[in-house]
Amino acid sequence: MAVSAGMVIGSLSSCATVPMYKTGITDNKITVPVDLFANSNFQLIQPKNLYYNIGLRKEADGTYTALLLRCTHADNQLVTSGSGSGFTCNLHGSKFNSEGQVTNGPAEHPLKKYPTQVVSNQIIIKIS
Amino acid sequence: MQSKTFTLTILLFLLASGTLLAQQSVSHTSEDSLNNNLSKSSTTVGGYGDAFYQKNNVQGTAKIDLERFVLFTGHKFNDKISFFSELEVEDAKVDGGTTGGEVSIEQAYLKFNLNSNQYLVAGLFLPRIGILNENHLPNTFNGNERNYVEQFILPSTWRELGVGFYGNLNNLPINYSAGLINGLNSAGFVHGTGLIDGKAEGRNASANNLAVTAAVQLNLNNFRAQISGYYGGTIGESKRKADSLGLNSGIFADPVIIGEGDIMYSNGGFSTRALATIVSIPDAASINQAFANNTPKTMYGAYIELAYDLLYFNRNPHEQQFIVFVRDERLDMNYQIPPNGITDGTLDQNHIVAGFSYLPIKNIAIKADVRFIHTGAQNPALIINPNPVALPYQVNNNLIDLGIAFSF
Repeated sequence: MAVSAGMVIGSLSSCATVPMYKTGITDNKITVPVDLFANSNFQLIQPKNLYYNIGLRKEADGTYTALLLRCTHADNQLVTSGSGSGFTCNLHGSKFNSEGQVTNGPAEHPLKKYPTQVVSNQIIIKIS
Repeated sequence: MQSKTFTLTILLFLLASGTLLAQQSVSHTSEDSLNNNLSKSSTTVGGYGDAFYQKNNVQGTAKIDLERFVLFTGHKFNDKISFFSELEVEDAKVDGGTTGGEVSIEQAYLKFNLNSNQYLVAGLFLPRIGILNENHLPNTFNGNERNYVEQFILPSTWRELGVGFYGNLNNLPINYSAGLINGLNSAGFVHGTGLIDGKAEGRNASANNLAVTAAVQLNLNNFRAQISGYYGGTIGESKRKADSLGLNSGIFADPVIIGEGDIMYSNGGFSTRALATIVSIPDAASINQAFANNTPKTMYGAYIELAYDLLYFNRNPHEQQFIVFVRDERLDMNYQIPPNGITDGTLDQNHIVAGFSYLPIKNIAIKADVRFIHTGAQNPALIINPNPVALPYQVNNNLIDLGIAFSF
């Protein structure tokens, strides 16, 4: 228990907040400023009127991965664990890693990924 | 008091329906179209189950049982409204005129999404108390049997009728939930089974008594911590009848109060979980006087489990796991009893469970474990069948379990 408590305190200092960016959707596209990733490699995107958040992660090669945070088992919303290192469904306990792959069932399929591109310092997430 | 309860329930449903109506009145936008594209009306079918062999080494008995088979069906009407249900058969068969077996609705509720972070549920649902109550798929916990703390102190799976509100904060990895459900029925409490037989589980529950529950959950990378609570009345009788039985009456009369905290952590192939809970029934003496069911004043339970996946460093994330574990469970359903109660030392228990779970894929588990049980001594005043009519009570026992589990 003491070991766990120590680990929590360490984690709290590094990722006590989840960066959230609220925006809209235009022509099935979501636009996110690159500047948001100045201090973090993960950003939670909350598009207006969409019932699921999108997890947007900056990869080592400078590209961006956009994951729809909808459980592939029963379509429940997922919650993120701190820095976006994983996503959990409280309905049946499914878990996904930062790449959207299943780490705990009952979900069997990875999270839906959206294509992204960077144009003029803006990350464009194409919803399809 | 009944009219207040009714008014409260109506207000909650109006709140839910009002929110939905407000959402429905929004004109069609690209976002609405997107939601429609994301998720058309659909029906989901899933399920889970487990079967195991159990040998009781002290009594020399053995059994094999399809303990649970649960069929899960969900239907999404649109991205705002869904329906979820679980239909459970225990022990494979229910036969008229014989004991054993159970068919029950484990969940049946409507879910109303308010936004991407918050939703309401209404119907028969599992409030967030403990670990297993919400997440009880048998391939996700170690050991063939569920831990005893979350069976006898927290009566998982504990479902009741009501409404629940769930959400998570925008900028902190914190989830929260609150619920208003029907209360337990203290007339149904049975000596030795904790709160289990006081549950209504959706079947003609008394709505004179209600309960509130709430939980807060912190998720930090591989670490999760939760605290939850429950406060609910246990007297479903009318005021007239309650008065005649010497009981209080009202929504929260003669309450059951529960506090619970748990943590889970995993890193590499290592994982641990720990939980502690306490149940208080301050008016146990009145309940005993009315129903003679030896209701305790305080119960408690705690466990800690350590586990390690021996294959963690030799596989990619989608392959098999071989998890070895050990768990220490401590519970006492008789920790404090009222003056008119009878002490039963057998309800003061310590269980050590050790074994393995082999998962060829994540949805399938093959399990083996041994459970060493140590209890307090039996109270001679509670012996109904003395030796040699029945075997003398053994404070030490052990069970060997071999089984399979699945979910999909």
